[in-house]
Amino acid sequence: MEKKTAAQGGAVNKRMSWTVYMRRYGTLYLLLLLPVIFFAIFRYYPMQWIALAFKKNNIIQPLWSVDWVGMQWFERAFKTKAFLNALKNTITLNLMDLVCGFPAPIILALLLNELTFKRFKKITQTVLYLPHFLSWIIISGLATRLLADNDGLLNLIYKQTSGNAGASIPFLSNPSYWRWTYIVLGIWKEAGWGTIIYLAALTNISPELYEAAAVDGAGRFRRIWHVTLPGLRPTIITLLIMRMGYILGSEFDRPLAMSNKLVTDVSQVISIYVYEQGIQGLKYSLTTAVGLFQSIVAVIFILATNTLAKRMGERGIM
Amino acid sequence: MKRILAILLTLTLVASLGITAAFAEDFADGKFTTTQHLTVEVYNRYNDGGTDPTSSVYAQYIHDTMLEKYNVDVEFVSVGRWTEPDDIGNLLAAGTAPDVCVTYSYPTILSYADMGGIVDLSGPLAQYKDELGNLWALLEDYNIYYDQDPDTGALWDVEARLLNNARINTFIREDWLAKLGLAVPTTTEEFEACLIAFRDNAETLLGADADKMIPYLTTSDVGWMNNQLINSKVANDLSDEMAFVYGYDDRQSLYPGAKEGIRVLNKWYNEGLIWKDFVLNDSDQADNLLKSGWVGAFQHNYDYPYRNGEDSIQASIKRAAGEDAAFLAIEPFTNDAGIPRKFLSDRVDRKCFLPSTCSNVHAALLYLNHISDPEVIKYLQVGPEGIVHEKTEDGAYKLLTMSDEDKAVWIQNSLNNIDHTITANGQYLGDATVASLALGYASVDPKYITIAYETAMHEGRVVAKFSVGAIESENEVGSSLNSYRDTWLCQAIVAAEADFDSVYDAGLQEYLDMGGQEIINERAQKLSEVYGVEIATDLAAK
Repeated sequence: MEKKTAAQGGAVNKRMSWTVYMRRYGTLYLLLLLPVIFFAIFRYYPMQWIALAFKKNNIIQPLWSVDWVGMQWFERAFKTKAFLNALKNTITLNLMDLVCGFPAPIILALLLNELTFKRFKKITQTVLYLPHFLSWIIISGLATRLLADNDGLLNLIYKQTSGNAGASIPFLSNPSYWRWTYIVLGIWKEAGWGTIIYLAALTNISPELYEAAAVDGAGRFRRIWHVTLPGLRPTIITLLIMRMGYILGSEFDRPLAMSNKLVTDVSQVISIYVYEQGIQGLKYSLTTAVGLFQSIVAVIFILATNTLAKRMGERGIM
Repeated sequence: MKRILAILLTLTLVASLGITAAFAEDFADGKFTTTQHLTVEVYNRYNDGGTDPTSSVYAQYIHDTMLEKYNVDVEFVSVGRWTEPDDIGNLLAAGTAPDVCVTYSYPTILSYADMGGIVDLSGPLAQYKDELGNLWALLEDYNIYYDQDPDTGALWDVEARLLNNARINTFIREDWLAKLGLAVPTTTEEFEACLIAFRDNAETLLGADADKMIPYLTTSDVGWMNNQLINSKVANDLSDEMAFVYGYDDRQSLYPGAKEGIRVLNKWYNEGLIWKDFVLNDSDQADNLLKSGWVGAFQHNYDYPYRNGEDSIQASIKRAAGEDAAFLAIEPFTNDAGIPRKFLSDRVDRKCFLPSTCSNVHAALLYLNHISDPEVIKYLQVGPEGIVHEKTEDGAYKLLTMSDEDKAVWIQNSLNNIDHTITANGQYLGDATVASLALGYASVDPKYITIAYETAMHEGRVVAKFSVGAIESENEVGSSLNSYRDTWLCQAIVAAEADFDSVYDAGLQEYLDMGGQEIINERAQKLSEVYGVEIATDLAAK
């Protein structure tokens, strides 16, 4: 019955004149107009300035009149120690985030899914979502108060319990410790919020599958392994592909707020490099080249992950 | 046909006359005949209790006097003081910069000049010189042509006059010295002994807050906050040429010998004399610690504890620790010749420039002239008599502690209103300047200001200027080198004493590899080309 109605609808549409069509759907197109204008002005029009990556550093003169310089800015970036260091740090921190941070919301969603007492589950979810709404500036302030070498609460407790007034764990001042502090705080802040999409995906798994598995004698872990995780797999793959696009991308406020002068060797990422060189150093062409490089690498990673996912029997995103 | 030709010729003549009239400047008898609109940058510090700098009584005063004198309608454009290079860069990039701009960042001006975004002032200044008497009297040729390119003659800015070039002081708690029976330290060893005494007598000095004791405070801006200690390790016979070649870093961290100053800090850090978490906190947190009265000694701007009236560090510690509490300026750090040398600033300060979008260069230059008028500066610096200041018997201007109602109207958002007096930094009160200096800090005993000024200027040295044109490699490194300098010095300070040399040397090498060595090389090369003086560029050997 539904199919017939759809077919009838299609026939009506085919016969519908342009004016009738616009009279009926014109409002919807009008609604679409605003986002289209937004994208045209703020997304597509500025793309012409990508050409600056291959031109002299000049944003005062009209773009067409600025001389071409070839690959000069790319060469300079890759000869600059500060950029290479930022590139290394970006990849390192993003890989650590991927390995540790990506599975965290999945595990958390699985745990939440197993909670049977609904009220407790809702309270837990709300508490887990809360850190997402704190800015990195606030979190870095909290981190300093809690983790500082000398006056941080954790180190004060550590000193008292160890009986050694000089003992402290350099959470924020030692580069290796700082990396893990950075990753753990990132997980604490976003893992809860990240569960939303997985919990939504979990609602699509048919309860009958769980019942069938239970009848077959599957325990709780077996049900998670054989029913829940396969049910989540398309969502996991989609998010993983998108995440791979960020392998060279970097947040700005997180490393900037969390960094300090003792750890800049490992905390200086590309976004901060671009800020320092572009906004502060006025090297717009150099930083456009760096941005273009990031985008190209992101596209390559997305395509590669997508292809890999398809070869492994998943749908991918393209 | 003739008729058409005649009409065309007439129209052409009328049009050309009209165009000529439109472009001819409507300027007569020292002022514009029609009102000109001019936008002018003013810093906004967003001080607690401050006023809007674009519409304060002082902004209104400038507006009214400019309108009256030159028929120029001034509109102020606010730019964040602490983000000014970024903000002004964005305004220039967007083509919306004010007609009259000011910045501390000469690289910003140079970058936009390279793009054709800045007015070359060499021509207009020569053209209108006769109308710019106040500007010339204040700045003189030295400041006006300070940044002129020796090769091309291009002049992208005029340097404001730094009227008070006192720079940095070392401060110590005078009341703590008295409490512990210690004399004012005059050597590094005595100073260190004071710090140890503060640490070991924390309970006597701070009572229940003994665990908060910080004998010596620094921040991650190591080169500034320890400048006198570090410079005391620089040889007294350092030549001006050597200071120029190794002088890219305005914290003087590359001066030969600076390493030994950092070594002292490393020792103090490991002995628990320095605030342990200084790297993890910002300057606001450092100010809070100073105001809490838990700090024994520190280095900073020569008048730092006395700024901001009731909110000053000096007034705050009096509230926290009693009337005797005070920071006193001292000079315990002497160099190899036994001299407490201070490297003072040259007489240049902020840079005033006009973007190429400036609507009226003539009006903009007249603005700079007006803001350099001694009477205008005086009004901006001391305000109306009876409200902001009173005159003492010897003719000095004493700033008053204002009532809350008066403060809401007449508060100066910056010391001496320097954010408005963009061509002058420091008091400019004619013969009364010296006598007024100590009276310019409401809520602070003038004797401390006098001591601070005299101490900061004692055995001062201004390194000579060398005009060698732009140093290209400095433009290449941007702010990344300065940022890394702080990292390098902080890492060296917190290293274990046994590791100090290796950590310091590795950091220095990294700094040089990041572009520092190229700058040293280029400075040495240009110095050699222009002045014929050869300076070795191997810093490691110094």
